[in-house]
Amino acid sequence: MTDTSEKYYPIEQVEDISMRDREDAMGAYLMMFAALAAGLPLPILNLIAAVIYYYVNKGKSRFVKFHALQSLYSQIPTTLMNAGLVFWTFRIIFNEGSFRSSDVFMEGFATVSELYWGYLWVVVAANLLYVIFSLVGATKARKGRFYYFLFFGKLAYHFAYRKEESSDAPVLNEPPK
Amino acid sequence: MKLTIQHQEYYSRGELILRSLFGAIYIAFPHLFLLIFVSIWGAILQFIAWWIVLFTGKYPQSFFEFQVGLLQWNLRLNARLMNLSDGYPAFGINASDEYTSLEVPYPENISRGLLLLRAFFGLIYVLIPHGFILYFRTLWGLILSFLAFWAVLFTGKYPESWHTFNVETLRWSTRVSLYMGFMDDQYPPFSGKE
Repeated sequence: MTDTSEKYYPIEQVEDISMRDREDAMGAYLMMFAALAAGLPLPILNLIAAVIYYYVNKGKSRFVKFHALQSLYSQIPTTLMNAGLVFWTFRIIFNEGSFRSSDVFMEGFATVSELYWGYLWVVVAANLLYVIFSLVGATKARKGRFYYFLFFGKLAYHFAYRKEESSDAPVLNEPPK
Repeated sequence: MKLTIQHQEYYSRGELILRSLFGAIYIAFPHLFLLIFVSIWGAILQFIAWWIVLFTGKYPQSFFEFQVGLLQWNLRLNARLMNLSDGYPAFGINASDEYTSLEVPYPENISRGLLLLRAFFGLIYVLIPHGFILYFRTLWGLILSFLAFWAVLFTGKYPESWHTFNVETLRWSTRVSLYMGFMDDQYPPFSGKE
């Protein structure tokens, strides 16, 4: 069995983490509201903001890097689902004309397939879950605590805390082949 | 808050002419192009900071420093575009400047009541009264800048009272920005004096 301490840096305890780092870690989760700030209904904007936030803050501390990474990874599935929903909705509106087929808007809605409604509710549920988990993550981060999302938590921990393998082998210059 | 733009003993006439003829190309365009993106990021951080302040009563320190850095960058650029300083303004939010400085003390706590008041009624009790006066003040400042151009061109000196007037306008508007950006709880005075 391999020793974790050999592969990973030790995680910081609450008292070791400065308020500044806690606030920066919290900010990572709140990037999900970036699209709201810009006033644009583009789901991809949250992801772009999370990527920028990660690159700006990853050097501050491993604690901040972990939370920024976890926030970034966990945004990817919901962003893709949201983008899919937006794309599908626009297709319905502009190509298939479902919403135009009736004089009454709600009747137009009724012509949308059951599959679409099913997908819509799945996306709504996924977003709700994501927002709830992110708010819990943000609150924990501000308290200097770790909070591991399912799957993404381990992944973020791995990339934020693993020790880089240093190669002791000497680098040799070679003639052209 | 402390905002200063140094009044130089002598101003370079060569730089004045260069700025006036080509300033839009080599100063304004590259800076404004970058500032568009940095300002969008600043707006996103400010929006998020608003919620953080609402729930915690504290402005995140790194967000605060970013916003101050952004204001400093704008100040450096404005000082050159208004011919208040010589030299080329540095790029970036962490850059320093020889002639301009802006120091904003980090507030330990921000009033949540004032935060909400500014969000809902800031337009009425801050932006309209201050904006009204600042509009005419800026117009007068532009006239003074035009006159100062000729003064610098022929004498190499920027009349100090005109310089002070324009700096006070910038100080005044910066105070309003800080208050509306909930980085300061003190209502901005109707004056640009230090």
